[in-house]
Amino acid sequence: MLVGIDVGGTFTDGVLLAEGEVINSVKQPTDEENLKESILAVLDELIKGTDPTRIKRVVLSTTLVTNLLATGKGERTALVLIPGPGLNLQHLDLAPNSYTVEGAVDFRGRVISSIKRTQVAEVGKDIAGHGIRKVAVVGKFSQRNNSLEAEAREILMEQYPHFEVFLGSEVSGQLNFLRRAVTTYYTAMTRSTWDRFAREIQEALVQRGIGTGCDILKADGGTMPLEVSVKYPCETVFSGPAASAMGAYALTMDKRTSVVVDIGGTTSDLALILEGKPLYASKGAVIDGKYTHVRAFAVRSVALGGDSTVRWNGSEVVIGPDREGVAACFGGPRATPTDAFNLLEGGKLGRLDLSQAALERVAGEARLPVEELARQVVEKVVELLETNVKDMFKSWEQEPAYRVWEIVNRRKVSLDRAIGIGAAAEAFIPTLARRLGCEAFIHRYSPVANALGAGVARPTLSIVLHADTQRQTYSLDIGGVSGTIGSRVQLEDVKKLAREHLEQLANDRGIGHYARQSEFFLEEQFNVIRGWSTVGKLFDVGIQIAPGVIDEFKGVK
Amino acid sequence: MKRSEPRFWQSREKAGKPTQTGIVFFPAFDWAISPTHPEREERLLYTRDQLFEEGIMDLPQIREYQPRLAELKDIARVHFCVPSIEAQITEAHLVAAGGALVIADALMNGEVRNGFALVRPPGHHSMRVTHGNRGFCNINNEPIMIEYLRKKYGIKRIAIVDTDVHHGDGTQDIYWHDPDVLFISFHQDGRTLYPGSGFTDEIGGPLALGTTLNVPLPPGTTDTGINFVLEELVLPVLEKFQPELVVNSAGQDNHYTDPLANMRFSARGYAVLNERLAPDIAVLEGGYSVETALPYVNLGILMAMAGIDYSNLYEPDYQADKFRESSDRMRVLERIVRELTTVFDNREALVAAAREKHDQFARRYRRIFYDTDYIHEEQQENLRMCPDCPGYWTIDSQALHQVGERYQVYCISVPVQGCPRCHKDAVELYEKMIAAPDRRFDFVYLQDRVDDVYRQFDVTRKQERVL
Repeated sequence: MLVGIDVGGTFTDGVLLAEGEVINSVKQPTDEENLKESILAVLDELIKGTDPTRIKRVVLSTTLVTNLLATGKGERTALVLIPGPGLNLQHLDLAPNSYTVEGAVDFRGRVISSIKRTQVAEVGKDIAGHGIRKVAVVGKFSQRNNSLEAEAREILMEQYPHFEVFLGSEVSGQLNFLRRAVTTYYTAMTRSTWDRFAREIQEALVQRGIGTGCDILKADGGTMPLEVSVKYPCETVFSGPAASAMGAYALTMDKRTSVVVDIGGTTSDLALILEGKPLYASKGAVIDGKYTHVRAFAVRSVALGGDSTVRWNGSEVVIGPDREGVAACFGGPRATPTDAFNLLEGGKLGRLDLSQAALERVAGEARLPVEELARQVVEKVVELLETNVKDMFKSWEQEPAYRVWEIVNRRKVSLDRAIGIGAAAEAFIPTLARRLGCEAFIHRYSPVANALGAGVARPTLSIVLHADTQRQTYSLDIGGVSGTIGSRVQLEDVKKLAREHLEQLANDRGIGHYARQSEFFLEEQFNVIRGWSTVGKLFDVGIQIAPGVIDEFKGVK
Repeated sequence: MKRSEPRFWQSREKAGKPTQTGIVFFPAFDWAISPTHPEREERLLYTRDQLFEEGIMDLPQIREYQPRLAELKDIARVHFCVPSIEAQITEAHLVAAGGALVIADALMNGEVRNGFALVRPPGHHSMRVTHGNRGFCNINNEPIMIEYLRKKYGIKRIAIVDTDVHHGDGTQDIYWHDPDVLFISFHQDGRTLYPGSGFTDEIGGPLALGTTLNVPLPPGTTDTGINFVLEELVLPVLEKFQPELVVNSAGQDNHYTDPLANMRFSARGYAVLNERLAPDIAVLEGGYSVETALPYVNLGILMAMAGIDYSNLYEPDYQADKFRESSDRMRVLERIVRELTTVFDNREALVAAAREKHDQFARRYRRIFYDTDYIHEEQQENLRMCPDCPGYWTIDSQALHQVGERYQVYCISVPVQGCPRCHKDAVELYEKMIAAPDRRFDFVYLQDRVDDVYRQFDVTRKQERVL
């Protein structure tokens, strides 16, 4: 049996799954102030009467880190940057306690100027003086050579052993210094809180006799073990939309192209699945207004949901962006898109008389027949969703490409399907699908698809290995791993090395058997020519365990 | 989440006008002339590393675009390709030219305030007639973009400033007879570097005298010297010419580390130059110091165009007072600036004198060598000295390839400003030549810029292709 729990802004959903069937599902309001309690309340309700030893997997998707960062409640952290030449960081507004120190590494990982011990010590003194204990140290091109970051950490720790120092090269080695700085800073800010939360969840599971441990859903739709997540708390942001997209995939399990439409109370989230693969945001997740290196699905949030308030502004119908409560047909205070649909469908969702009354108040102002008003509301909702879906496709098609064949073979896909997720899916998806000229897909598990998606998502892991045969060095973009290689290695050797590292990391995380399902997603090699002869090669090889579902899940019944 | 858009950069722009700088970054990681050629896959690799690691694409001042494929007609508007356009290009060339077109559209649609097409392969050595590859170039990206701008948006007056270390002889050739396109090139003195042209007496065709200006820089010229030329010659001339658009043909091989040339320009110097010149569009040309110059120079140009502070940009081995401008070089530059200022200021009188000198047609005979493909071309050109327009012209071109292949073609071109009489006479000449073809020619071409129609007649097969 599997448990999937998805903590949303309004509700926490949970499912208990066995053999592709949902045995039990639970929905309870989320207490933002006490997420742990919300989660455990749902868990207890879910497993009532079930032998806890039969539960083989528990997966959580939670908003804890997202909320921490959004509300500025993370721990005070200092950011120490080693930028070298380039942008002038004085114009950046990265973090309140930022320091810039001398030292530089270039794109080949060569140290072009060194750290100044006295300067770093000075910075340490200032940080300690502010009573700050968490320090993020991030250097430009530290993924190609992290010696300056390591040296700065050493100097800081020597004087202030109580500091906890985080290095950019250990958090993320993808190209983009600013995003690395932000991601490392956020990691430092949220580490302790997440650590505490993880321990409490661990204990709570043990108390309940569940011995399997717990996995956490990441923004990329994959999971990682709770104990690993302690190193990478930022990876847990935006797991809600990832849960929906994985839920949509779990319900369909094919290679078709779909848009996933998760209609919530106040917002609707859209995601794309292209030929069976969820689409990633090309720039990484934006957290609190800053780009990060967190790999996340390309999700678009539309400020409009099933419970958005419907008004007349004197000349047209306006929907949202606010929500005053549930829809009128469930006893809510105001007319909503859900009511408009309920009226047109003759009370399919809730009490027809309540929808009618709420809508008539608006229709009176507008001097429109109530059915006409309801039609206009549904029309508006569908139109807004349609515009956003088309926009998403367009921006995906216009993503920059850097090779001739990518431009020549311009990506074009056609949309097969609109998958509805969430309770209000049934109301709008058929009309939206008609407008988009594709099929509508709604499943009986659509209302709990997000929790289901979390429950069956498989672990993911992605690494990029950069090798430089002229300098005879290589480095990974994760964990600050680096080493030496021979000057004559070829692409095949580098691929083998990357695979070994992936397997090693997967074993360390207890997900070793998934490494067999890894795939190479990046294979670049460049000859380094000086004069008219080749003096070395540069390789970038990426290998990943891509998002998907766990082996034992064969689809829903 | 408080805001969905990143906001960690303080923008200094006024509201109302477009504030962003567009960029097409197209490194063509799967294209090379040959594996060890300077124009190879690796060329923009470190530039990519530097730009992406810098995170500059994330800044709100920058908007990245994807290139597209240019159409064959876009190329026919500029070049006579022998034996065909397809024979002269690869898909990479279409993407590079298309990258420039994307930036042009973004600028004209008001999406960006300026733009940088950071693309390869380059093009500024490609001339009107193209039999093969010269100086790493097959087709010329800037004129393809400029003629597209003229056709689609009705732009008339344009200035091109070519800052590549090699003389932009291809672009010069294409606009030799065009009084509405001001072409200014500064480059290492042609007596010391490929292509061996670009002297101060090359000032344009008889009806466009003074709208081509060449500044041959002495080897070793530094930031000081180049910026002197910019301030004392280029900017005043632009001020007088009043172009609607300024295009920078942005070669980066004036850099002090370039392996193919001997100049001493720095990344900072390039940034200052672009800030002062303020081009509407920059298009990458040459620059082969792939590790020590390109990452920093490209970043500098982009920062300058986007109004981003570049005070922290420098090469790893840069020292502010590393290079001093010599008084000898400064004297040379002062003389050139004086000479060319006079030429430009007297351009109307120069054209009037040329009209006196020539009767109905002005003739020119030229030899052109293609270094990459080893082709010898001979051209005989005739320009009609029209009183009402820049005149239509014809080129009789013979090319001998290394492998013994030989082509002879006849090209007729009506300029975009062509008067009804020139237009009519040129079309009639073409019609006459294909009705009773002269067997010496393999192909006859008509480049009709007035009607935007491009015809190529295959004499042997008696087939016509119209674009």
